Amino acid sequence: MGEGSKVIFSLFGFLDVTGEVVAMWIILAVLTVLSLIVKHNLHERPGAFQNMIETGVEYLDNFFEGLLGRKKSRQYFAFLASLFVFIIFANYSGLFPGVGMTDYVKAPTSSLSVTLGLGVATFCFLQFAGLRAGVKHYFKRFVSPMFFMLPLLLLDEFIKPASLALRLFGNVFGEETVTEELYTLLPIGVPVVMMVLSILFCALQAMVFTMLTSIYLDEATELE
Amino acid sequence: MNTNLVAIAAALAIAVSTIGPAIGQGMTARAAMESIARQPDAAKDIRSTLIISLALMEALTIYGLLIAFMLVAKV
Repeated sequence: MGEGSKVIFSLFGFLDVTGEVVAMWIILAVLTVLSLIVKHNLHERPGAFQNMIETGVEYLDNFFEGLLGRKKSRQYFAFLASLFVFIIFANYSGLFPGVGMTDYVKAPTSSLSVTLGLGVATFCFLQFAGLRAGVKHYFKRFVSPMFFMLPLLLLDEFIKPASLALRLFGNVFGEETVTEELYTLLPIGVPVVMMVLSILFCALQAMVFTMLTSIYLDEATELE
Repeated sequence: MNTNLVAIAAALAIAVSTIGPAIGQGMTARAAMESIARQPDAAKDIRSTLIISLALMEALTIYGLLIAFMLVAKV
């Protein structure tokens, strides 16, 4: 399951760099450069490029505000929005020609390691947010209706990020595999059908991941 | 191990795990469309709830798909 990723070279002898890592570096570089360009060219009357970015940020702002309410969405906007932007870029990177065909550049989210990493990050974030909302409330949540619910609720806390990771990995890896199978079937024309569907699914998966994260966040920081 | 059996198991893993979620998703989509038709103002709320519930059902199929991939790797 995705462990077919080949090590290209090792950093400092123990950090294995695979195709997914290279793709993530490229994505990070592109995002950083984009943000810096926008940040240094801020105008009162936005140009075409700034307008486009502003529309995107506004859309995300409204999206999280609808799920979390104004206060919480403002508080945690940075994490949730970065998660969304990273996942959508990672998903779309698989659609570029050549990506995934070689070992050197692969769509990051088509590897279980990357999505599990995102899941672990989400897990830590949820615990942190829950503790910040109130320590007493955080522990009370695990025994909220009855005391014997403790093992179930404890288990639930770990299953949430695991299912997030598996869903994202399964969808992206499945798409990549189907596209590859279609490519071996008939190289010209046929894979386009799946790739057009991928454009929709990639955005949907990024949305679902962040949407579920924010719903879990809403649950974790809820004070009655 | 008999590889033919593994291949059939992989096919069954994805085929059977598609049935339940597909029916569930169909029912959910129908209910959502009916409620949007009845109350177009609430379309935004319904849509986000619909996507979440569809994603949760989709996860079941994805688990089957993962098992199928694992089995196919063994063939």
